[in-house]
Amino acid sequence: MRMRFSQLFLAFVITLALLIGLEIVTSTVLPALGWKEYRLTFNVLIILFLAIRMDSPLVPWLILALQMVHSIFSIEGWALGTLAGLIVMMSANFLKEVLHLTTAFMTMITVQLFQIIWYVTVTLVICLKISDFDKFGMILWSFIPGSILLSLISPVLFWMLGLIWRVPSEGGPRGVEI
Amino acid sequence: MKLINESSKTKIVNNLMVGILALYGISQKRFDLNETTMFHQLVTEVISPIQEGLANSKKSLSFLWENYLLIVNTSKENNVLKKQISRLESDLMTMEEVRKENLRLKRLLSYSDEMSHQRVMAQVVGWDSANEFKVIRLNKGKNHGIKVMAPVITDHGLVGYVYRVTDNYADVLTILDQNNRVDVMIERTRTHGIVEGVFNFKCALKYIMRNEPVEVGDKLITAGVGGIYPKGVKVGMITDITKENFGMTLSIEVIPSVDFDKLEEVLVLIPSEVAQVTLPALVPTLVPITEKKL
Repeated sequence: MRMRFSQLFLAFVITLALLIGLEIVTSTVLPALGWKEYRLTFNVLIILFLAIRMDSPLVPWLILALQMVHSIFSIEGWALGTLAGLIVMMSANFLKEVLHLTTAFMTMITVQLFQIIWYVTVTLVICLKISDFDKFGMILWSFIPGSILLSLISPVLFWMLGLIWRVPSEGGPRGVEI
Repeated sequence: MKLINESSKTKIVNNLMVGILALYGISQKRFDLNETTMFHQLVTEVISPIQEGLANSKKSLSFLWENYLLIVNTSKENNVLKKQISRLESDLMTMEEVRKENLRLKRLLSYSDEMSHQRVMAQVVGWDSANEFKVIRLNKGKNHGIKVMAPVITDHGLVGYVYRVTDNYADVLTILDQNNRVDVMIERTRTHGIVEGVFNFKCALKYIMRNEPVEVGDKLITAGVGGIYPKGVKVGMITDITKENFGMTLSIEVIPSVDFDKLEEVLVLIPSEVAQVTLPALVPTLVPITEKKL
């Protein structure tokens, strides 16, 4: 299934708006309600969807653009997440024959596994940048509670993103070609 | 077959280009200071008012949640009565909030009176959306005189410093963040050390030698070294000391003086230009009396 450029552009704009809304929830609404210790990093979930469910040469650029918007809400910047997104996308490509997101449970497990790849990459780079590998375990551990919650939410968000990007609901790993 | 190869080639080229860009971005990235780009400036100025609006409506939202949404199934009469009570409570709460805010602001202002800095009062409108960074966003920026590296405090103590700033908003790297290192002094013993953010809204005090007479309950203040923070601002209190069997230094846990869970308003300190101008005038008094023209 191929998407026309106008469809792609519209899907991207809607995804961007969704990301901004979810980032505002994470950075303002949840802390205002007292949830300050752990963050729900929705940008990771959206990029995981693009990396796992889409098959297009444009995905790296989409990841870059989404991370640019994420950098408005976090000092993490765009580069770290872009690199992690690329690594996840390449891992998903490598494993495409065994990835079948047919049930909500499978989606949660897959998302959790790829989140671990993502966070190990990000933590490694941060430790390299700050030249302090003693903090590796501590930083990685700080991601875990939020990542489990994200995995639980992932079937719903993947369903929504599937509608936006017109990915077939049967959960084939490579839904859309652009 | 040829089509597949072409497609794969495009993918590889795109992956390589974005990968190289990302690696370049990482190599240029600093977690302790950041230049604001045009893109960041523009999007922050557009999006942050929404964050500010939501942060301001926090009290109304939680009041609505607690007082209306949770009593949907009660009887009509109860609803009317409860609405009356809720309205009265709301009035009372608003007055109480105004009174508390007044007290907080008064304390904040009187606390910073002792410092030779210009002060900008700001409200916290958001937190960093990534787990590994403890950064807050303030509703004041360059237009209000805020500069990068300006220290941020409350009446309870040190919050952090300004990491990046746009026209109307500023991001503050708090002392809870692992990238923020504060040069501190133990108030009682005057021993110097470095406070770093760790996890669970706690900090660690580093580089304190094993033979130093530190105790649980010792208070930490800024040492004034490093040129960011003024001397003597409260930082936190030692809550745990661990003497490992190895190493020359102690492992010390610190609870910040500022309760970051309840952080609403802060003061940004900007070094006073007046103080800098008057400084040279003091120099002649240092001339030895023998060299003075009588």
